[in-house]
Amino acid sequence: MRTRLARASALLASFALLVTACGPSSPATPSGGSVAAGSPSASASATPFTGEPVEIRWYCCLGGGEAPEQKTVEDKVVADFNASHPNIKLTFEVVTYDQANGQLTTEIQSGNGPDIVGPVGIGGANAFHGQWLDLGPYITKTNYDLSGFPSNVVDIYKLDEGQVGIPFAIYPSALFYEKGLFEEAGLSEPPHKYGEKYKMKDGQEVDWTYDVALEVAKQLTVDSNNKDATQAGFDPKKISQWGFEFQRDDLRGLGAYFGPGSLAGADGKTVQIPDAWKAGWKDYYKSIWTNHTSLTGPQFESKDINPSDYPFFTGHVGMSENFLWSTYGLSDLPDWDLAAIPSYNGTATAAFNADTFRILKGSKHPDEAFEVLTYLLGDASSDLLTAYGGFPARTADQAAGIEALQAQFKNTVDWQVAVDGIERADNPNFESFMPAYNESLGLVGSGGKYLTRWGNTPGLDMDKEITSLQAEMQAIWDKQP
Amino acid sequence: MVSVPVQPVIPPGGRRGRLRRPSLGRTALARHEARWGLIFLSPWLIGFVAFTFLPIIASLIFSVTNISLAQDQPLRFVGLENVQRMLADKQTWESLGVTFRFAAFNLPIAIIIPFVVALVLNSRYLRGVGIFRTLFFLPYVIPFVSGVLAWQGMLNLETGWVNEFLRIIGVENPPNWLQDTTLVYPSLAFIGLWGIGAGVIVNLAGLKGIPTELYDAARIDGAGWWAALRNVTLPMMSPVIFYSLILGIVDILQYFLVPLVLFNGTGEPGGSTLFFNLVIYKQAFNFQNFSYGATLAWFLFAITLAITLVVFRTSRRWVYYAGER
Repeated sequence: MRTRLARASALLASFALLVTACGPSSPATPSGGSVAAGSPSASASATPFTGEPVEIRWYCCLGGGEAPEQKTVEDKVVADFNASHPNIKLTFEVVTYDQANGQLTTEIQSGNGPDIVGPVGIGGANAFHGQWLDLGPYITKTNYDLSGFPSNVVDIYKLDEGQVGIPFAIYPSALFYEKGLFEEAGLSEPPHKYGEKYKMKDGQEVDWTYDVALEVAKQLTVDSNNKDATQAGFDPKKISQWGFEFQRDDLRGLGAYFGPGSLAGADGKTVQIPDAWKAGWKDYYKSIWTNHTSLTGPQFESKDINPSDYPFFTGHVGMSENFLWSTYGLSDLPDWDLAAIPSYNGTATAAFNADTFRILKGSKHPDEAFEVLTYLLGDASSDLLTAYGGFPARTADQAAGIEALQAQFKNTVDWQVAVDGIERADNPNFESFMPAYNESLGLVGSGGKYLTRWGNTPGLDMDKEITSLQAEMQAIWDKQP
Repeated sequence: MVSVPVQPVIPPGGRRGRLRRPSLGRTALARHEARWGLIFLSPWLIGFVAFTFLPIIASLIFSVTNISLAQDQPLRFVGLENVQRMLADKQTWESLGVTFRFAAFNLPIAIIIPFVVALVLNSRYLRGVGIFRTLFFLPYVIPFVSGVLAWQGMLNLETGWVNEFLRIIGVENPPNWLQDTTLVYPSLAFIGLWGIGAGVIVNLAGLKGIPTELYDAARIDGAGWWAALRNVTLPMMSPVIFYSLILGIVDILQYFLVPLVLFNGTGEPGGSTLFFNLVIYKQAFNFQNFSYGATLAWFLFAITLAITLVVFRTSRRWVYYAGER
């Protein structure tokens, strides 16, 4: 008896050790705990469902949604869904952003992929190109109404794989600016309406172009002796305020503010670099190293200068191009507003970001997954959009979206500028698919080789750099089967 | 005188003088103990099989297939195609070159500095040895990624403390430590030294184990500090140095975390930090080319094994084991 007990204890101890040793070390595990209200009795359905519910797994967070306050909302959405849909048991899996890509890769490869993934941006989804379900047949089968969305936004999700997404949250761009810094420099504020002229210091009215904006930026760039970048004696080593910050998450995005385009040529195999992007990249480099109106790489990396990884949040940047999602860090700035993106070659392009939920092609229950998807985009969209800080893609919801955004700030912001940016969205979108997507991002993407090098190295020949980037990317694409 | 009959000495293995293994597992008690030993080892064994051994086998299988995440072509056996691709890939040789160049620079530092620090800590003239020992070991217990990020801040061109100090002492244009191809290896080596605590402890343990009689004898023979170091300390420490060398080689060939954190795996500045292990990681997990990544990993294993074997072979000439006959 004693031996048997000892053996049982040892086995238990061994099992406990095994579980401890082999269990995940991070909390990045399926939450699962939010499915409390999934009992059929809670159903609002007319015909009581008596069978076994189908499990649909919702995988988060390739782009956002992992913050505790967001998870509270997501858990509630899951609980509400389960309460009203006894035929489906929705489960929610949170994997932190830094682990999400790798874990999803592993899950798909092992045949254990989830059903729904999101919120995920266009670029984030491209990392899994070929894995997404074409929603076209399900949209047709259920007569899902797409007319409430701007057609150009619906078209962003029309790819060679089919209609892989339905718009949910959109993030148009605008020029964020600090009113106080303009006033201090005696400058007029940038125009809020696309096509409006800008009034220079001498009273002359000119088109709001990049040439003008970058000239204005020099007057907003100030050193510790209070001299601006146009004045003699300006010390670029002691800059305390910068005039213009480009959107430097991705070289493609940076270029897209100068004009829409794609790195993939018409044959899908040849690297092309749009002329507008080349111009944008050169302006970016010149702004850093010649005009000193943008932060250098080391300044950008410095936690003392740029503690939140977005210089505009510091209040020491006059103008900054960015997407609407970047409002999250602006609540402490009392004096900012939105203005029109400058034009290049007569056209203003507001680079565009969009997040949605997608269904994986490998889902074993695509019909039920689509039912969940329409719930997330419909009944739950208001709560989720608020939690994610997303702007509604559905035109009818945009007024409420503006109200929700404005409620977060004390200063009155001209949100209409962002709404006007929707129709100036870049198409093709800068995050469109290109061959060897992930490998190519290593050159142009966030923290990519060229973005890093240009920010860190003065004296480069930009024509040579662009040629080198093109050749290097072509070599990567040529290796593709 | 009484003669005492001498009993023949029977060797422990039996009358024929053959040594035999202890009869573990033969008796009921031994079997019982072995069974319980296995039961208590089973968590580790199962974990090892599931999470180490099987993945090793899987990666070997991956390396001869065309497996990838997208799997846009049917899964098939490709034989040595991945090896051919690897040998023809310029990046393979460039990243190996980077790895070996950095190894040549960093490995001597990573072995000599902990040894020297341990020598100092072992000195009888040093006061507060315990404090110094703790101070040297302390950084080792801080998560390495946090340490690397702290160093990134310290070495920042604009606001890093190192450059702030240089400016205070009159250096007008201090260097961009992490973005200058000539300074990046010294900077990485410097960051690496932050975690020498474990190496210092190992060396210190070795030094403490050297019998003081050897130094006394050397002193009587007229040996000074340098002669004692050369003729007593170094030979007696050679097994520890050998151990550090082997671990150092394996570590340096797998160098990965620091360049990943500091440079996002881009290889910047100028490709000087594109280490071989980083290429493996990027191929397998960023670019989702599992089969090619697995091939590269096996290639690295082969290189590591070859170098380690060569070092082991040479160790007969320079490693002294006092317990050996």
